[in-house]
Amino acid sequence: MKIGKWLLLAALAAPLAPIAQAQIKHVEMRVEGMT
Amino acid sequence: MEQSLQRQSGVQKVVVSLRDGSVEITPKDDGSIDPAQLLKATYDSGVSVVEMDFTATGRIVKTASGGIALQVEPNRSFDIAPNDLSRPLDALADTATTVSVRGQLYTKAAGKKKPKGPLPPLKITILEVQK
Repeated sequence: MKIGKWLLLAALAAPLAPIAQAQIKHVEMRVEGMT
Repeated sequence: MEQSLQRQSGVQKVVVSLRDGSVEITPKDDGSIDPAQLLKATYDSGVSVVEMDFTATGRIVKTASGGIALQVEPNRSFDIAPNDLSRPLDALADTATTVSVRGQLYTKAAGKKKPKGPLPPLKITILEVQK
């Protein structure tokens, strides 16, 4: 019964968890007009 | 411009090369950075952006218009422009699989010095799908 509660809690919380490793790693711009 | 970019949220490091006209931005470890804000901050400091590329990891999700997008944060995703490299990603839509891609987010329209009005929404043209 206790395990069932934990499983239910984990299932409900899963969509709220951050996406594993998802992130912007690097941004590069080519620009003009820089002095 | 460098200081303006450094002040943007999520930015850890900005490296400007005057010789190449390139600006490299390293996000903080949490990766919570907004490329649209970086683009705006650059234009606001009087510099024109010719091109913006990025490398990101995220999930492929389906968009309301039937296309696909790269979701890099729970509330941030970028539509993917269809091309030969993006086609295999269709099969990963709405799965738990994460992919790393290098893509172009913005290119200045030919001939225009500065875009009039608000900047267009950023869309990824996939340049490389990394393992």
